[in-house]
Amino acid sequence: MKLLENKRKIRSLREFLYILPFLALVAIFSYYPLYGWFYAFFDYKPPFPLTWDRFVGFKWFQTMVANKVRVAQLLSVLRNTFAISGISLAFSWFPMIFAVFLNEIRSTGFKKFVQTVTTLPHFISWVLVYSIAFAVFSSTGAVNTVAISLGLYNEPKIFLASSEHIWFKMWLWLTWKNAGWAAIMYIAAIAAIDEELITAAKVDGASRMRIIWHITIPSLMPTYFVIVMLNLANFLSNGFEQFYVFQNAFNKEYIQVLDLYVYNLAMGNGGYSLSVAVSMFKSLVSVVLLCVTNGISKLVRGHGFI
Amino acid sequence: MKRLLSILLVVCLVLTMALAGCGDTTSKGTRTDSPSTGGTPKAEDSTGGGKATGGGDSSGSGGTRVISHDKEITIENYNVAANFHGEQTGWFGKLLKDKFNIKLSILAPQVAGDALYQTRISSGHLGDIVLLEGPNFADCVQNGLIKDISDEIKNWPNLMEYYNQIEAYNKSIPGNEEGKIYGIPCQMTNTSPTVYSQDVIYSSPQLRWDLYQAIGAPVIQDLNGLLDALEAIQKIHPTNEEGEPAYAMTLWPDWDGGDNMMGIANVVQLTTWYGEKIKGSVVLRPDGTFYKLTDKNGTYRKMLHFLFEAQQRGLVDPDSMDQDWNAVYPKIASGRVHLLWYSWQQGFWNTAERLREGNAFIFIPVMDQNYYADADTYYGSGRVFGIGAGVDEEKFLRIMEFLDWYASPEGVVYQHIGIEGFNYEVGPDGKYIIKNENALMDNLPVPEEWGGGGFNDGNNAINQWIVDSISINPKTGEPYARTYWSSYKAATQTEMKWQWAEKFGANEPAEWMKKNGKLIISPNVVVTLPTDPNDIAVIRNSCEEILEEYSWKMIFCGSEEKFNQLWDEMVAKMDGNDFDQVVQFDMQKWQIELEAKKKVMENQ
Repeated sequence: MKLLENKRKIRSLREFLYILPFLALVAIFSYYPLYGWFYAFFDYKPPFPLTWDRFVGFKWFQTMVANKVRVAQLLSVLRNTFAISGISLAFSWFPMIFAVFLNEIRSTGFKKFVQTVTTLPHFISWVLVYSIAFAVFSSTGAVNTVAISLGLYNEPKIFLASSEHIWFKMWLWLTWKNAGWAAIMYIAAIAAIDEELITAAKVDGASRMRIIWHITIPSLMPTYFVIVMLNLANFLSNGFEQFYVFQNAFNKEYIQVLDLYVYNLAMGNGGYSLSVAVSMFKSLVSVVLLCVTNGISKLVRGHGFI
Repeated sequence: MKRLLSILLVVCLVLTMALAGCGDTTSKGTRTDSPSTGGTPKAEDSTGGGKATGGGDSSGSGGTRVISHDKEITIENYNVAANFHGEQTGWFGKLLKDKFNIKLSILAPQVAGDALYQTRISSGHLGDIVLLEGPNFADCVQNGLIKDISDEIKNWPNLMEYYNQIEAYNKSIPGNEEGKIYGIPCQMTNTSPTVYSQDVIYSSPQLRWDLYQAIGAPVIQDLNGLLDALEAIQKIHPTNEEGEPAYAMTLWPDWDGGDNMMGIANVVQLTTWYGEKIKGSVVLRPDGTFYKLTDKNGTYRKMLHFLFEAQQRGLVDPDSMDQDWNAVYPKIASGRVHLLWYSWQQGFWNTAERLREGNAFIFIPVMDQNYYADADTYYGSGRVFGIGAGVDEEKFLRIMEFLDWYASPEGVVYQHIGIEGFNYEVGPDGKYIIKNENALMDNLPVPEEWGGGGFNDGNNAINQWIVDSISINPKTGEPYARTYWSSYKAATQTEMKWQWAEKFGANEPAEWMKKNGKLIISPNVVVTLPTDPNDIAVIRNSCEEILEEYSWKMIFCGSEEKFNQLWDEMVAKMDGNDFDQVVQFDMQKWQIELEAKKKVMENQ
């Protein structure tokens, strides 16, 4: 009896050792960096070394909301972050629908062509995307030149240095860059749909739209939910490069998202500690968001993600 | 059991590797005794081993040390002046490789972002050669990040030429009263700290002479008159020869907030037209007093309003808001801009040929203006070269050798002019004659023996000099800068210059200003000012953001009413964001420099 118990113990120890390397990796790359949080409680200014007389407690957290201007700034940054993430969340079905329709294209050559062309922008950096945007939309860019030579209007229109519909424009750029890439996951999921289901539906006389509506889309739903879930976890990190390259004095008010704010506020000129404080604040909001979505999931689907 | 053991070993290995990796980056790497140089004994330095250098050294620096170049080394240069990030290539790269067998790798915060400074400095090693602004340099010295070169510098004759200035600078570093040598200031001259030797000042209104003539060469009384003139010029010259639209001025936002001046770069320079100089968040008046940058009657607002009015009159390039400098200079070079305000911008258009044809840019006085100019940078421009404390002995000597050459007449000529036989040739009297004057402007291909490639592409990416171009070249007795060579003056003493001299009664712009009492020369002094504490840095940063955002909006706002409204809004926002704390800090900070300047003036 005892022998058996010992055997089981050894086995569980062995199994624990199997996952130990992965636990170690998580510890090193996810938990170890958290020690950097203590910079938020010091007045750290490189190259001066960190010493206890530079301990300032919660000063940098208070600095974030030190006066009305900064509170207003923080609120507008949060508004932008939520609005831009919200728009992409609201349109998160777009790559799925794109994949579904792409799948309906009969000619393989054309299908591959469309897929390649839409996937390619994913590999272009935002800096290059902006130079494309500049070449097309600046006052001497392609659009203005063509429109003026066609006599549509006389004075060049300002597209880039304006805040009109800026959130939507940013979503368009993001979609142009990422839709094809995001569709890959759905294309894989579509390939996994049981052929028999579709054949059966066809025998029953279902049209293509019917098959999409009753078979393809329901089969994609689990994938969709996982992706939405992942997006939600990244709700506050809606990218930095895109807004960094597109920002100018005229759209900054609406384009400055949390990551860009941290950069503009702190990294440029020595506010190391403050930027750590802001990123801690960001982590806090993320944890709250995660708990909320988990709660909603429990309410709606009966079980949570965690 | 065996398996268990092996897994344990793997885990241990992973852990130690990871920890070693982390440890390396966080330690304050001030070690000087790096064991990695094992294979190359130091003895080589003194024995001058192998094929020690030959022609290279004897022609150039002539140091008292002989140093082996057998081993190729890569020198990292952390460089606040560079516009280029990466390895030096092209003809200058080839020169360094052939002469010193070094590769130069440039780390440019202007390209990679200012965060580079913080991340690298936290790791304890900024670079092998560092080029920093004075205040940051002093911080680094105080924290042991910069090598003490007091003893070694004495072996290098070209650097010793400037020892007075170098010593004066190093004594100004707080905590270094005994005068150890750490840094070598940039752009030192062998003239004087109170004179102004150049023919043109850093910022002044410059128009194209032919266009100015074409509108009847009016006497320009004030900024309004300048706008009238520009409007007239734009009317007769709405496009360049290729038919592309030309504007009186084109602006660019990517330099905003630089040079220790708050505000947008295109406005801050213009304040010197009225004798005032922005110092951080305050403005220095000619009478030696400071006022807040956002004063409603101040020059910042006045010059911002000038650009606003220009925009109202349709004189501002509509691309201004979203282009960068790289889009601007081709416009200047192709004749699409009518007003220049930096003296060096002329370099993108003026050539000896255009001076002959009479269509070059030249200073046109605006009568109510009073120009501010910093005197010759005798003690340096404020930036400083130093050597990283972590550099090992062998590399240290190679770097000293390079820096000495960099300050030598030979090195300086490469930096300010270029290649003999391609950019200039030596006349029978030993003086230089310019060749291929448009080499930089048009990126002309360099000769094959220099590796080919464009001249500008392969130009010195360090972009900063120990010796200023206004210094006298001992080989020719003339300044290094080509525009002061007797051959160049003779070649450009053209019809256009005669006409200009006749109209204004002076040979050169600076001479006109001096004659008419319209030049305020601020003496060059050596002080090390404090860097911002974090609180001030944070407020300064966010006020700067507000200031820039509103300034651009104001230029393009479209109506006087809106302009005033935006200004008030901006000031309220900045004041609400504790701007006064920065102003207080800056007044005290710049007072130190001001006192030093007053002292120099009194001693004269």
